[in-house]
Parts: sequence; structure tokens; C-alpha cells
Amino acid sequence: MADLSAAPSSVEDIRTAYTEHTQRKRLYGGIMLVLFVALMVAGFRTADDRNAGSFADGVHRIFDYPGEVLSEAAEKAVQLPGHLVHFYPALIETINIAGAATLIGAIFGTLLSLLATRGMAPWPALIPVFRRIQDLFRAIPEIVIALVLIFLLGGGPVPAMIAIAIHTAGALGKLFSEVNENASLKPVEGLNSTGAAWAQRMWLGVIPQVGPNYVSYALLRFEINIRASAILGFVGAGGIGYELKNSMSWGQGRYDEAAAIFILLFGTIVVVDQISGLLRDRLTHGAKL
Amino acid sequence: MTTPEMTIGDTNMALKGQMDGLFLKKRLFNFGLPALVLLYLTYVFFAFDVPGLWAKASMDNARTLVSDIYSYKTHVTRDNRSGDVSVAIEGERKGEYPAGEGPAWVEFGETTVVDLEDGYEVRFGPETVEFDIPGYGLIRATPDRRKGIQAELPSEVVPDWINVSKNRMAVKTPNGRLTVTRNRAEVFRYFTGWELFFFTLDSPYYGQGPAELLSRAIAGESGAIWQDFWTNKMWRHQDVAWAIGETLLMAFLGTFGAAMIALPLAFLGTRNFMPIRLIRMVTRRFFDFVRGVDSLIWTVVLARAFGPGPLTGALAILITDTGTFGKIFSEALENVDGKQIEGVASTGAKPIQRYRFGVIPQITPVLLSQVLYFLESNTRSATIIGAITGGGIGLLLTQAIITQKDWEEVSYYIVLIILMVMFMDWFSGWLRKRLIQGDGDGH
Amino acid sequence: MLRIDKLTKTFGDKTAVDAASLEIDKPCMLGIIGRSGAGKSTLLRMLNRLGDASSGSVTFEGREITTLKGREKRAWQSDCAMIFQQFNLVPRMDVVSNVLHGTLNRRSTLATLFNLYPMADIHKAIDILDRLGIAEHAAKRAEALSGGQQQRVAIARALMQDPKIILADEPIASLDPMNAQTVMEALRRIHEEDGRTVIANLHTLDTARRYCDRVIGMRDGRIVFDGLPEQLTTGVAREIYGAGADFSEAATSTEIETLEKTDAHGYTAALAH
Repeated sequence: MADLSAAPSSVEDIRTAYTEHTQRKRLYGGIMLVLFVALMVAGFRTADDRNAGSFADGVHRIFDYPGEVLSEAAEKAVQLPGHLVHFYPALIETINIAGAATLIGAIFGTLLSLLATRGMAPWPALIPVFRRIQDLFRAIPEIVIALVLIFLLGGGPVPAMIAIAIHTAGALGKLFSEVNENASLKPVEGLNSTGAAWAQRMWLGVIPQVGPNYVSYALLRFEINIRASAILGFVGAGGIGYELKNSMSWGQGRYDEAAAIFILLFGTIVVVDQISGLLRDRLTHGAKL
Repeated sequence: MTTPEMTIGDTNMALKGQMDGLFLKKRLFNFGLPALVLLYLTYVFFAFDVPGLWAKASMDNARTLVSDIYSYKTHVTRDNRSGDVSVAIEGERKGEYPAGEGPAWVEFGETTVVDLEDGYEVRFGPETVEFDIPGYGLIRATPDRRKGIQAELPSEVVPDWINVSKNRMAVKTPNGRLTVTRNRAEVFRYFTGWELFFFTLDSPYYGQGPAELLSRAIAGESGAIWQDFWTNKMWRHQDVAWAIGETLLMAFLGTFGAAMIALPLAFLGTRNFMPIRLIRMVTRRFFDFVRGVDSLIWTVVLARAFGPGPLTGALAILITDTGTFGKIFSEALENVDGKQIEGVASTGAKPIQRYRFGVIPQITPVLLSQVLYFLESNTRSATIIGAITGGGIGLLLTQAIITQKDWEEVSYYIVLIILMVMFMDWFSGWLRKRLIQGDGDGH
Repeated sequence: MLRIDKLTKTFGDKTAVDAASLEIDKPCMLGIIGRSGAGKSTLLRMLNRLGDASSGSVTFEGREITTLKGREKRAWQSDCAMIFQQFNLVPRMDVVSNVLHGTLNRRSTLATLFNLYPMADIHKAIDILDRLGIAEHAAKRAEALSGGQQQRVAIARALMQDPKIILADEPIASLDPMNAQTVMEALRRIHEEDGRTVIANLHTLDTARRYCDRVIGMRDGRIVFDGLPEQLTTGVAREIYGAGADFSEAATSTEIETLEKTDAHGYTAALAH
């Protein structure tokens, strides 16, 4: 009976509380939205001010350069296959930079991740150290290491490879660590009880569990690294990016070469993305079975 | 009794044979895979000419780089023609002491005495330069415009740390270096640290300790102190701050701009929201194309239209990520739970309302976490794109590296870049946690 | 042979095993009973050196075990096989490979990483599997087997180690009664035929009574009972499990017969068993 008399007031309470709650949320949401829009607008205007050419002036010129390149390439369409063959070795170099860097990065990333996962690390006290090393490796943009190494070693593919490998080791190390966290430690304990050494426990107990995920992440990284390796070429580290920079600095008259390089790069990225996407799909679905 | 045992034995033998085969295959695979990797790496090793590179590698460059990172040198220079002595940090005009002034270890006079400590001392006399080296003796060198440099060494044999020719004498000691040419004599003294990091020599606050600065700041000079620090010509704190701001701006504008453009487009590329096959295909191919062209090519193309600067970088990131986001968002949208939309639709909601309440709440966490993840990785991309288009900290870094001598600045920028990326990593993780958990109580 | 002296393990301010002392002078099958959290697992893990002791000592044939390090510790582990409640096999690997893991300590690390096990070992593994009645599953992945079969694979791995002692940590706790019986019988047979010492943590009284030569009761980290299975009366069991008068043995039972009896006579009747 008492409940009945108390009910209306509690419903009333709930109603006011709810209204207050929604209003506050709307207010916060509104403030966030206004803040975000203001940031975007102010950011755009700042960027526009500090840019050499303004957005309004440049926007209708976006397609001028590609237009020039394409029309010149079309004029000299006969030479295009020759250019494709000529720049093919540079493309291979770019792919090799990405491939070797991904492999080396994945090997070190695996080690780093095993050293930084609780229950697997041989020196548990050093786990935070290896985590920080991962963070550090991941935080260094490839270009930083590449430029310094170019100063020390001279131009060429090796500085780019080392730079990308270091970043890859950090990035994959973190992803692999997350995979490791989800792996069961029971097999490791089982192997431990037989007197297996650390390498045996990891290789026989952990890797079979995490292998498919590792490969899937490494493939994704390979896609990213192909792009990175092309960009680093542009700053002097060899490969197709370097050729692109050269042919661009020649300016008009050599646009057919630039077009050939564009085609090679675009084609490679699309093909690698497709193949790796297919493989990754198969790996993750295989793991689910 | 015997028959069953026989069969067990037989099956056992067969099993053993089968397992032998299995393990043979396993071994082949186990060796084959590492062997392939090794083979590939060996191929790359020679394709990249690593042995040749090793020979080319410049150890001198490495030494300069490393020592420059943690130390600086002060030049004490005498012009042999006029006899004027000047002192400059790193030998740069920006780090020059006012005429006739210098640090305490340089004593000006008719004979300028440069004290290099531990008994090492260089004296610039009116005619002759003298260098006292404990354990070796006194080196005298008299530069003459016609006869060249006349050097007098205490020993017959010239040690390998002294280099004498007609035009030039160079002495390298652990406490400092002396170079004498026909036109001038110069002493380098090395110190640990980054000199003039806070104030340059022309600032009245140069050389003051933190306590003194604090008391002056309280006395009302904080504005002037800040001004002197901010406009430091050597380390350019203002420019560096702007550059980092530009880089972050590129990442911010690019990432969120791309997300805003990609979200509506993503609906066009999904099977469950876009019944017309053609539009779906076109949208998807558009995403693939934009992604495939890659930020490098976009940067190059956009730099032609807009010139160097942060806007170009932001647009390059925006365009590339529109493709990536479009793909990710479409996949997320295809995985939406149809029951929730049905539930909203069953109340008689209009299509827009159906999207607002049936779809958006489901995908926001996924989209938000992706966008924030890209915000961090785009900070790195913005550094790289900045180096190509000419904007942000990437530009400062490349400029500093090109001079091949300001390695302390290079290392300073590298530290800043790493801190910046780590901060963005932390910040995007923090925001992700806040927003997605906040999402839990409705939307 | 095996001597445990005042073995103690503390986690922070909690004492998991409190000055446990025990001596085994000839090969036997020893059951350890007690509630969960009584310290049974911790004790076994210290014997295998999966966990370090806080104080006390374990000696085997005169050799101190608790202070072994690195290679010597792993050699001891290979002499002292362990069987787990959750089998702790590598699920994605085939059965024979899992059994061969028992030889890891004896073979060179590099060779094992490349699956270079001697053919004789592979054949021995199949023979052991055959002895345990699961040879036909040799080529399957471990994860494809039932719980009871997986536990027998784990026993096969233990036998592959050719150990002096087999430790079994709740070997039947995750198995149905039928499989539990098979596994316990296998352990008993190994003890009887090979003369190996088997130390098993069991949570059911009747299993301990039925298969063990000697039973130890643990409560709150201390050994409170050490005697023959026959001495394990309901009163003693109550003491070990810390239960009141309503304690029912059936509550700790997995044996088929007991269950049948329980069904037939009800819970109270089971007490008289």
C-alpha cells in the first residue's frame, strides 16, 4: 500500500532526473560539436594562410598537372612500354625494400613481443623496458632514420630498408603482443613442465597458436611498407620513388616517364593490396575453422 | 588371442610408416620456410650491394654526428691581417660574442690568451701563435703572407696529431684544436651540452640560473624573458612550435576531413544500404583508386596546385584516407546488426531516423576507434609528407639534415617528433577510451 | 627417495603451503586430497619447479631440488613429469608431436625447433600411445580429441620423458566419470608396471581410496593427514575438507559406481559407503 503512494513521486523523480541527464548530455554533445567545427574551420583557415597557394586558387588547378602528364603520355604512348620496362628494376627495388624490411621487422617484432608479454617473457622484470622499446620504435617516422642513415651510408636502398624495418619491428611488436595476450599459456606451462628451454616453449607452444595472426598482420604491414618505401625513395633512398623525383625535376618533356612510374606504382599497390587481402581473408577464416 | 594382437601390431607398423612420412614432410617445411627467407635476404643483401655500402660508409660522418649531438664547440678566431680576435659559438654569426668580449677562458689583450685547461694554452701574439702542450712542448707558428706558415715544433718527428704544410697547420689535442692558415688562426674548444638553448648571447638573460630568472620574472620581466626565449635565433623555438603545430594540423584536418567525406560515401558502397549494383561498384572502385594512387602521388600532384605548405599536406592525407576510411566504413556498415534497424523501423521511423537510431549508434565505436587510430599514424605521415611538400617539422628536419652540421638541432627535432608521436598515441588512446565508454550509456 | 622438508610457499601475506613435510622411500602411488585452495597444486608445482618455494627443501635421492637453476632445473623437470587438469597440450599440433615434446630436454634445442626428432623417438611415441589405447589418433591435431583422449596424450608425453616421478595435478577434474576412470587406471598401471612413483592431486575421496597406496590430506596449506587409504574414514575426511556434519562424500565423487549408488540410495545412504 505504501508503495502505491510512494510511486508517483519516485516516477516524478526519475522523470526529472532523466530530463536533466538528457539535457546535460545534449549540452555536452552540443559543446563538443561546436568545438569540433570551430577547430576544423580555424584549422583549415590557418593551414590555408600558411600555405604558399590558397585553397580557392588551387582547387581548379588540381587536375592541371595530372592532365599535362596524361596528355603528354598519350602523345608518346608508343614509348610507354619501353619506359615501363626501363623503370621495372626500380620497382623491384622498391618492393624488395618493403619485403626485406617487413621480414626483418617481423622477426624482431616477434622477439620484442615475446619479451614483452607476461607469462612468456624470459625476464619478467624487463617487460616494461621492452614495451617502451616497442613504443619508441613505433614512434620514429621512417623518414627520420632514413635521412640520418643516408648521411652516414650514402643514398640507396639500405637506409630505407633499415628505417622501415625499425618502424615495422615496433608496430608489429605491439600488434603481436596483443595477439600473444590472447594466446593460451597452458601449452607453454605444459612444455615448461617437461623441462623445455625458452626457445622451445616459444616456438612449439606459442607460435603454432599465434602464427596465422602474425602472418596476417605482417601481410598488412607489407602493404603499408610498399607505400613507405616509395615515399622514402623520393627523399633519396632509391627505388621507384627516386626515379619519380628525377623524372619530375626534369619537368615538361619527360612527363611520359613520370606517367610510366605512376602507372607502375599504382598497379603494384593495387595488386599487392588485392593479393594480400585475399591471403589475409583465407588466414583469418582458416583460423576460425 | 594371437589374431587381434597381430592386427594391432600391423596397424602399429602402418601408423609408424605414416608418421615417418608426416614428419619427413614437416621437416621439409620446417627447413624450407627459413631457407626461403634466408635465400631471399641473401638475394636482397647482394641486390642492395651491402658489402659495397659498408666500404662506402663514412665513419667520419658518424663521428661528427655523434659528437655534435651531445657537444658544441666555441671558435676563437684571429684575423691575421687585422689582428682582431672574435669568439663565436659553433662559429656561427648567430652565436657570436660582441666585439672584444668573450667567455672567461679567453683573455683579450695585445696577446690574446686562450686557456684550454690542464696546462694547454694558446696565445695569439702580434706575430706568432703559440700553443703550450703539456708533455710535448711549445709549438710556435708564424703566418706570413708570402712565405706561408713557419712552424717550430719541439720535436724532429711530427706526431700524427699535428699536420703541417706550407699553407696550413692543424693541431688536434683532447682539450681543443688549433688551425693556422695564412689568413687566420682559429682555436676550437669543445663543451658538452646544447649551448644557447634558452637565450642567445645578445639577450641580457644569457647565462643566468633558473633561480635568478625566476626572481626577475616575478619582478615583472617575464614577458621580456619569454620574448627572448621565444625568438632565440639559434634554436628558433617559435618556428619549431609552429612547425609542430602545422604537422599536427595536417594530421587533424586530414584525418577528420577524410572521415567526414568517407562516411556518407561509405553507405553507397555497401550491399545492405545500396541496392543499385552499379553505384556500389563505382563507389568501391573509387575508394580503391584513391587508396591505390597513394599519398606520395597525391602529395606530388597537390603540391603543383597549391604550392608547399600545411594545406597541401592536409589535403594529401585527406584524399588518401578517404579511400581507406571508405573501405573500412563500408565493411563496418555491412556488418551492422539488421535486427536493430528493423526494431527502429517497426516504430514507423522515417529512413533518416532509421539510420540515426538504428545504424549510427552501432557503428560509432568502430568508426571512432579507427579514426583515432589513424590520427596517430597520420601524425607520422604528416611528418613525412611535410618533408616532401615543405611544411611542418618534417621540413625543419630535412633542412637541418641538409646542412650536414647542425646535428644538435637534428637530434632536437627527432626528440620532438618522437615525443609528438608518442603524445598523439597516448592522446588518441585516451580519447578512444573516453568516447567509446561514454558511448555505452546511449547516444 | 623423495624427501620434502618444511616446504613453504607464500604469495604476499598469504601462505599457500605451510611447512609441508613428507617422505617417500619406495615407489608408490600417492594421492593428495583437500579442498580447492588447500595448497595441493602449489605443492606439486614446487616439486616440478614450475613455481619457486619460499623456504624449505625438497631432496630427491639426496640431491637438493629447490635451488636448481637453468639447465639443471630443466633436467630435473624432465625427470619429474607433470600432468595438468587442462592437459596443457599444444592444441594446433598433432598428437605425436605433442608426445615428442617429452624429449625436448634431452635433444638439442635447434634440432627440435626444426622437428628433427630421431625416428626411434617417433616410433616410441606411437608405442606409448598404443599402450594408452589412442594410437589411431596419432596424426590428428590435439584439439580434435576428446578431453579423456587429450589427457591420455598428456600422460603419453609424461611417459616419453621416461620420468622417475609423475606428478598429476587434478588429472580427472575436467573429465566425465567414464574418462576419469580410464585415466586413473592408466596412471595406476604405469605405477604398477613401470614402478614409477605417481603423485596425484585428487579432489575426490573415493578415487584416492581406490587407486592410491597412500593418501595425504591437506587443509589450508598444511598436511593434516598422512596414512593408508583404509584409515581415511568419514570423520577424517570431514576434518580434511573442513565440512560440518552434513558433509557428504558423494559431493566429492566422480566414480560411476558411487554415482549409481547415490542414485539408488540417495545422498544420505552414500555416507555409509
